[in-house]
Amino acid sequence: MGSDVFEISINFVKMVAIFLLMVNLVPMLVWVERRGSAFIQNRFGPNRVGPLGLIQLAADAIKFLFKEEFIPPKGNKALFLIAPIIALIPGAIAFCSIPLSVPIEISAFEMFGSQWGPYVFPFQSFEIGIGIVFVLGVSSLGAYSMLLAGFGSANKYSLYGALRASAQMISYELAMGLAIVGILIVYGTFDFAEMIAAQQGPLSIPLFEADHVVNKVLGILPNWGVFYQPVGFILLFVSVFAETNRLPFDLPEAESELVAGYHTEYGGIKMNMFYIGEYGHMMVASALIAVFYFGGYSLGTTLDTILVEGTIVPNMSALFASLLNLFGSGWEQSTNLINVVRAFVFHGIFMAKILLFLWIFVWVRWTLPRFRYDQLMDLGWKTMLPWALANTILTAFLMLFLR
Amino acid sequence: MSELDILFYILSSMSVLFGALVVLTSSPIYSSLYLVMSMLSVAGIFMTLNAPFIAGIQIIVYAGAVLVLFVMVLMLFDLKRETKAFTKGRFSGFLKLVGAGLLCGFIAGAAYESVSLIMATSEEIPTNIAAAAETGFSPTTNSIKEISKLLFTKYLFAFEVLGLLLLVVPIGAVALSRVAGGTHAKH
Amino acid sequence: MTSLTPIIVLTVFVAIFGVGIVVVSALLGPKKNWTKAKKIPYESGLPGQERKETKIPVKFYLTAILFIVFDIEVVFMYPWALTYTDAGLGGYIFGAMAVFVGLFIFGLIWEIKSKALEWD
Repeated sequence: MGSDVFEISINFVKMVAIFLLMVNLVPMLVWVERRGSAFIQNRFGPNRVGPLGLIQLAADAIKFLFKEEFIPPKGNKALFLIAPIIALIPGAIAFCSIPLSVPIEISAFEMFGSQWGPYVFPFQSFEIGIGIVFVLGVSSLGAYSMLLAGFGSANKYSLYGALRASAQMISYELAMGLAIVGILIVYGTFDFAEMIAAQQGPLSIPLFEADHVVNKVLGILPNWGVFYQPVGFILLFVSVFAETNRLPFDLPEAESELVAGYHTEYGGIKMNMFYIGEYGHMMVASALIAVFYFGGYSLGTTLDTILVEGTIVPNMSALFASLLNLFGSGWEQSTNLINVVRAFVFHGIFMAKILLFLWIFVWVRWTLPRFRYDQLMDLGWKTMLPWALANTILTAFLMLFLR
Repeated sequence: MSELDILFYILSSMSVLFGALVVLTSSPIYSSLYLVMSMLSVAGIFMTLNAPFIAGIQIIVYAGAVLVLFVMVLMLFDLKRETKAFTKGRFSGFLKLVGAGLLCGFIAGAAYESVSLIMATSEEIPTNIAAAAETGFSPTTNSIKEISKLLFTKYLFAFEVLGLLLLVVPIGAVALSRVAGGTHAKH
Repeated sequence: MTSLTPIIVLTVFVAIFGVGIVVVSALLGPKKNWTKAKKIPYESGLPGQERKETKIPVKFYLTAILFIVFDIEVVFMYPWALTYTDAGLGGYIFGAMAVFVGLFIFGLIWEIKSKALEWD
């Protein structure tokens, strides 16, 4: 966790802060969903409580905390109580292992009389050398929360709903894993930061030279993964809808089919924890799509160096230096301040991409009708799995010639 | 007591404790859940041994696929009848004695074999660095790429035979599910 | 570069966070009030119709077994994808994996044709 007190404390604060970022994004997401769905359905959403209805979610959360605690008497009390806690863990751990911005490099400085050495803080809770394999493994642990919830409530509809939900989840994990193999062949590394670094610069085809007319035309577009793997992007995009139980694949939560599926017997804050887990998975999925196919926290082409490094970062750090100067003691525009501001600007770009994909999740939910369960499993096994295999083989075949 | 030592003690005691709980609980679902925790502890031990890829694969395949299958299948049964079948009776008592005897034998054998390893000083423990240098791969570079290079050159035949073995699994499962009286029986 | 301590600390933190929420809710809620309707499992308001032997179809088992097999295939493709563009291996490594994937495609086609994946 670090070698001296400053590093350990900053790492701990960073770890908790990113987890709390995820947890605090959930009420915002629920607000976006309720107002967004109302906008799509041509009605008002919650707009009484607070400005634009923003306090509604806090009011809802507090209301849920005060509900009566209900444990089905014939059910398995331990499993019933553990299941919502297990629903939180995979989404949180997976989100915390994705780099949300460039690493912050702090050179040696002096504080409280002693020298603190140069540090590099990666902008993620912890660093894992096997980025994507870890995220996939932890996401597949999410099936346990559904199974335990369905089993712990002594209700045969819950059990059936839990089995169907976990069968759906594991079927689409295959298509997800195979779509990721395509990206791995193109970039050749598991690490997220290296993948984002490989997506800098303008798009070009290596067969032609750098100033060929094809490359000049393509150079307008950034070097993003979506241009290398369009089929993989569609496969991953559809699979994460099924992984997170969102419409059009949300049969486990459908009201007309199974009451409410595996969380029928839950009430109060325990049911909300399932939704926090689901929205956490959605955030992980959006972050993965942004990192693999849309360049992560970089803007691509030459916008990075011109816009961000050239204009935004110096201006914002000058602004911050002048703001901090109001609190006394001359803060000049040191490289440490520029690095911190730079990391947060890139973080803002990444969050904008994540929020765009989360909005697309909400948008699709209120646009498309729901699949029937056998249609869903047919799609997963008979359509997406062969397409994913074909995509992998085609990518491998093409890479033989392009490298 | 470096950080790795503390991690090793915590993770290994967790895996031994959960492994013991697997065989000591009477409910099969609790057994499989304790097995999941044991698998996650072993994955943690892999990570401390600088094999993060193997740890990730352990979580994906073992804890995320095989044990999900176990838990799903255990929910298809009527568990009270199954646990009752194994807790009473003379035949199950004999099985329990045999099982306990085997466990004691294994523990005694393992302790006997590893006494020399525990008592040895660090110079006497053989290291494999010389053997690894012969194969041309050094143990300090990126381990994932080394594993895959070995897999596709030296162990290629084993890899293809593994594919064939894995092909037998779904065929056998489909054949088993067609037993008369079940939901998938052939008419 | 990979260290395990932050992962364990974060897992424990998230677990304590979840347990804390549940405990706070249990403390703040009203006293338990068992009415007769709350004791039976919820079946959309109908009186409870639990029978002893509800058979659950075996296709869940088949789906899970097939998932394990294809998951192992995907896991073998990860290190293959990493060293795919390394020098010196070329088309040979493509052929090695193509045979492996071909076996699995054969298995998948057999499963689809033998109707083991129907109506799930």
